Amino acid sequence: MASFGLAVAYAALFTASTIVLGTIVYWTVMDSLERQMSARIDAEVDLLREEFVAEGLPDLVREIHERADYFPALSYLVTDAEGKRLAGNLPSMPAHVGWTDIETDPASGGSVEQNLRVRTVLLGQGVHLAVADDLNPIEEIQQAFLSALGWGLAAFVILSLAGGILLSRAFLQRVDVITRTAEAIIEGDLHSRIPLRGTNDNLDRLSSTLNRMLDRIGDLMESLSQVSNDIAHALRTPLSRLRQKLEIAKANVGDDQKTEHSIDAAIDETDTILDTFSALLRIAQIEAGTREAGFRRVNLSTTFENVADAYLAVAEEQGKVLSAKIDPDLQYWGDRDLLTEMLANLLDNAIRHTPAGSSIEVKLADHGAGPVATVADSGLGIPLEERGQIFRRFYRLERGIAQPGNGLGLSLVAAVADLHEIELRLEDNAPGLRVRMEFRNAASGKEVGRSDSPSKHRSSFGSLESSAATPQAAGR
Amino acid sequence: MRVLLIEDDAETAAYVVNRLKAGGHGADHSAEGRDGLRLALTGGYDALVVDRMLPGFDGLVIVKTLREAGRQTPVLFLTARGGIDDRVEGLDAGGDDYLTKPFAFSELMARLNALVRRPPLAQVKTTLRVADLEMDLLGRKVRRGAREIDLQPREFRLLEYLMRNADQVVTRTMLLEHVWEFHFDPKTKIVETHISRLRSKVDRGVERALIHTIRGAGYVIRAPS
Repeated sequence: MASFGLAVAYAALFTASTIVLGTIVYWTVMDSLERQMSARIDAEVDLLREEFVAEGLPDLVREIHERADYFPALSYLVTDAEGKRLAGNLPSMPAHVGWTDIETDPASGGSVEQNLRVRTVLLGQGVHLAVADDLNPIEEIQQAFLSALGWGLAAFVILSLAGGILLSRAFLQRVDVITRTAEAIIEGDLHSRIPLRGTNDNLDRLSSTLNRMLDRIGDLMESLSQVSNDIAHALRTPLSRLRQKLEIAKANVGDDQKTEHSIDAAIDETDTILDTFSALLRIAQIEAGTREAGFRRVNLSTTFENVADAYLAVAEEQGKVLSAKIDPDLQYWGDRDLLTEMLANLLDNAIRHTPAGSSIEVKLADHGAGPVATVADSGLGIPLEERGQIFRRFYRLERGIAQPGNGLGLSLVAAVADLHEIELRLEDNAPGLRVRMEFRNAASGKEVGRSDSPSKHRSSFGSLESSAATPQAAGR
Repeated sequence: MRVLLIEDDAETAAYVVNRLKAGGHGADHSAEGRDGLRLALTGGYDALVVDRMLPGFDGLVIVKTLREAGRQTPVLFLTARGGIDDRVEGLDAGGDDYLTKPFAFSELMARLNALVRRPPLAQVKTTLRVADLEMDLLGRKVRRGAREIDLQPREFRLLEYLMRNADQVVTRTMLLEHVWEFHFDPKTKIVETHISRLRSKVDRGVERALIHTIRGAGYVIRAPS
């Protein structure tokens, strides 16, 4: 019954303010009417007193007779020192000098029952004058005013209650929908969302924001639960291998060389497990999006040149040709360390998963719609049906299962790309794989403040010229 | 060197202190932030190793307080976080280097050596020399004896880093961080490949090699004894 309570509260508030307003109007009107009446009586008394002082008692008596005929609205009475009635139509002289309210009895000579306001004065020589006015018109106005106020108030209460109930019911029904959705989610229906009306009003916008928040939380939870599942599955194998190696070491106690060998192997295995752990943590952290705080303007071109340069010699060593075609001075808004790691992982992958003699090409260019980068190799490519899955954690191509690696490199690439609004696509390089990165969030829009600060060591050398990363270097 | 370790995990602390002492260094340990800060301010150490996550205390406070007090003692942060922002935070606060737990002792030792040996900023060298290998930092030229060696820019940088830390072991990760600015561990053997190329240029056809591989630890450049 919350909606009723809200409506009652509003009706009470409105009613109270109406009563206050009515009371103020009432008192002002009544006060003004009574002042008018008193002023009229005062004027009459003053006039008659002057008459008495100037002309004497008989003239006053005559004047009062005349006035009683001409001004029936007012009543008069003049008595002499003995209290004898000399003129006037008031039934009796009030007991005191000053203001009195009296009630006339219709039986004792008056026409109808009247409430009178009387001012009594002593004119001199024991002569008393009383002038009275009828209070009934004022009382009628008072009655009419109060009854109008009463009816108005009643109508007001009913209308505001009805309106309040209707309005708050409509509002609270929608709040109830939100509450029910929230409760459904608490109960475990994580995919429940608040229905939208499409009116784009305040509540609709709130609901839509809440829905987006729920989607985001849902994604994060899914990522989290995937991480725990992945860890459980992926670490079982290396942990059992570690156990085997420790058992072998134990069995070999006494043979120093063999023991050392097994312990070294166990340490290597432990390092692999730790690497997997930290890779998982990094991916989770990147996916959680907290890294955006570290974003600044990054010179994408030098970042790419730096990475390509690092891998030139490695590729050559393994009988592959790495070439780079990087346009200079392309900027992007992001985290240089993460972008470096993303490209490094792609090159790692390309170098490790292609047969000797393959060529690998890195390109970075901007044709107007933001920077576009590709890493293409002439290796075996990825079967179409597996392309959707290779960014999943621990996913490894069947034919690559024997190769070293933890299956996390491309997941990290996907996480970094996602954080940086980079659209990642896998294309057929016929033959081979081409990874295409479209940088969507151009740096030009966010030039505020900080810029990519070169590290301490970088300052001692100029940055690489772009030619350092081109085939000329690869052909050495 | 005298090292102060501020670390609340007793096992890690004992391991580091024992290894330092076994290596002939002085090592003190504090398990608590405020006590550690007091020691750091009064103890006259050559280097501090500070855990970021002390109970109820962020190790950053220690280095900030030290720097405010005008102390330039090199500080190396340790942390168990998978944190990718921690490195930047630590360096911004005035830390000099950063190591993620778990770490190999050889890695810690190599980094401490590099920190302690680091020359004062004012002292700018224009020539580095190891035996008959000479590097002209301004002219960007390298000679071995009378023979001029032609190096790619990145090879030059690699050799420079080795020569600045001559006689000290530098690890693979130190090289990755300082030469390539890679703050992660690539799967391919980038460092190994470049070292072998550099070696073929520097030590080629010379009887006494200068660049040595220290198994399980890293690389060192030193004059033949």
